[in-house]
Amino acid sequence: MEFLLNFIERTGAKAAGWWSTTYGIVSFLTDVLSTITRHTTWNRATLDTIAKQIYFTAVQILHIYIIYVMAISWVIITITLSTARNVGLFDAATEMIIRVLLLELLPFLTALLIALRSGSAINTEVALMKVNNELDALSHCKVEPMQFEFLPRIAGGVISVIGLTVLGSVLTTILAYLSIYGMSATGFSTFSTTIATVFSVNILLGLAVKCTFFGLAVTTLPMAAGIETPKKLFMVPVSVLRGMMRVFLALVLIEVLSLALKYI
Amino acid sequence: MFKNLHLKVGLFVITVLVLSLGFLLYVMHARGFFEQRQHLNLAAASADGISPGMALTFSGMPIGQVSSVNLNDAGGIVIKAEVSQDGARWLRVDSTFTLDKPLVGGAKIKVSSPNLSSPQLPDNSTVLLLVTDPTQEIPALIERVKNILANVEHITRQDGELNGALANVKTITGRMNGKYGVLEGMLGSEENARPVVASLKNLETLTKRLNDVSAKVDAMLAKTDRWLFAEDGLSEQSKQALAQVRAMLTDAQGSLKRVDALLKNAVDISANVKDGTQDLGKLRADIDEAVRKANDLISDINRMWPFSKDADMKLP
Repeated sequence: MEFLLNFIERTGAKAAGWWSTTYGIVSFLTDVLSTITRHTTWNRATLDTIAKQIYFTAVQILHIYIIYVMAISWVIITITLSTARNVGLFDAATEMIIRVLLLELLPFLTALLIALRSGSAINTEVALMKVNNELDALSHCKVEPMQFEFLPRIAGGVISVIGLTVLGSVLTTILAYLSIYGMSATGFSTFSTTIATVFSVNILLGLAVKCTFFGLAVTTLPMAAGIETPKKLFMVPVSVLRGMMRVFLALVLIEVLSLALKYI
Repeated sequence: MFKNLHLKVGLFVITVLVLSLGFLLYVMHARGFFEQRQHLNLAAASADGISPGMALTFSGMPIGQVSSVNLNDAGGIVIKAEVSQDGARWLRVDSTFTLDKPLVGGAKIKVSSPNLSSPQLPDNSTVLLLVTDPTQEIPALIERVKNILANVEHITRQDGELNGALANVKTITGRMNGKYGVLEGMLGSEENARPVVASLKNLETLTKRLNDVSAKVDAMLAKTDRWLFAEDGLSEQSKQALAQVRAMLTDAQGSLKRVDALLKNAVDISANVKDGTQDLGKLRADIDEAVRKANDLISDINRMWPFSKDADMKLP
């Protein structure tokens, strides 16, 4: 009997924990949205912070990102082409490369890279600010943390994810063309037809929405995890751990949902 | 520490924007947004396997794609396709459109224009879409293959005809390996083959003898030839005999004429017995003479004729 009671109690506690977390994230997102729509938000200081955030998130890692994307793309393109050639489906290779790399893998890997590098940093920073009462202090000084700390990071994160994905996609497209047809323009019309077949309006819109959600996930979830950190220093690593787990789950969920919408 | 931060961020953002816009324009160009595209309506019995975005190919090169597949109010299939301006020049009024559904790989609509000097297909034309679907033939094919396999199984079963035939072949070839070879194989056993071989040997002896006989006959014929057609041969003698017979026949004719006259006289005599009896003795002598001559003639002929019974002729 006692065991059963314990079980119910534990389940209830977990449910309450989940609920408070979800509520925290949703209320944080609502705050973000309301701040975005507020006219006064978009001042010089906010834009400046956004620029800084883009610099830290995207520009600083640009060379690493390009090497990383080219390496992954080259390996996957080569494997796809040789496999397609072996099984006699070379005609389908271009479409396969575009669908796998451009639509799925590159956005996901870009989001993952930014989550690992910037998401974890944001999580730790916010958690420390929370523990050190800096957020309260800012609020006290009438400096809205949402406007000057959180929103620029979120905007910067979203822009970085989209920007890096676009950059990576264009490079991968060029690499794919060169791998299939070499330095010749003969395959251009065939390649264009495949691109046209794959990139319908819905797919392009879907890709943009997915990248936006990836950007939101890698910034808002660590931030929300940082804000809910209890004011104890030893809780900071736990907060980062939780935040990153949530980011990972969110990224997988977004990817699965996008695939389901596209192909099911 | 953050030298040219704004410049770098600005460059990054502008690059991304330009690339995004460029990619968007490229996709729009690829989708034929900026060019006049030729529209086609394809009529098909079924839209099975046809989907929007499916490629139209000419000689394996994509020239357009299916833009929509719908049902019209009458329940018919309306397949609309768009062909790029560049690709539209390959479409002719006698072009054929075939839905190609390979067993592996995506379906596509193949366009073939056998006569490129035909007039071009006008915009918004309706053409017939032919369907070649190997997958639809598979059930029938499998049914036939099943029948064939059943037959093969029936033939090759343990007690089947093929096994029997092969066993017979084995027996026959086994016998062929025997003393009398193929003959033994055909006749069943060594005992049966032996008389045949013996007969063949007899035949050989017989042929040899026949050869000898033939040589003798040849010699004989040569002799006969010589005897028959030599200057004093049988042939020459027969010729002379025939001449004599002709002379004798002429002689006989003369005697018979005389007999005729005598008989006439006899009639006269019988009519005038009274004054005719004095000639009777002469008449009798004449008749005797004629009959004797005829007898002689017959005996001469009998003697001279080469194939008569008493002919004095002997084969060599």
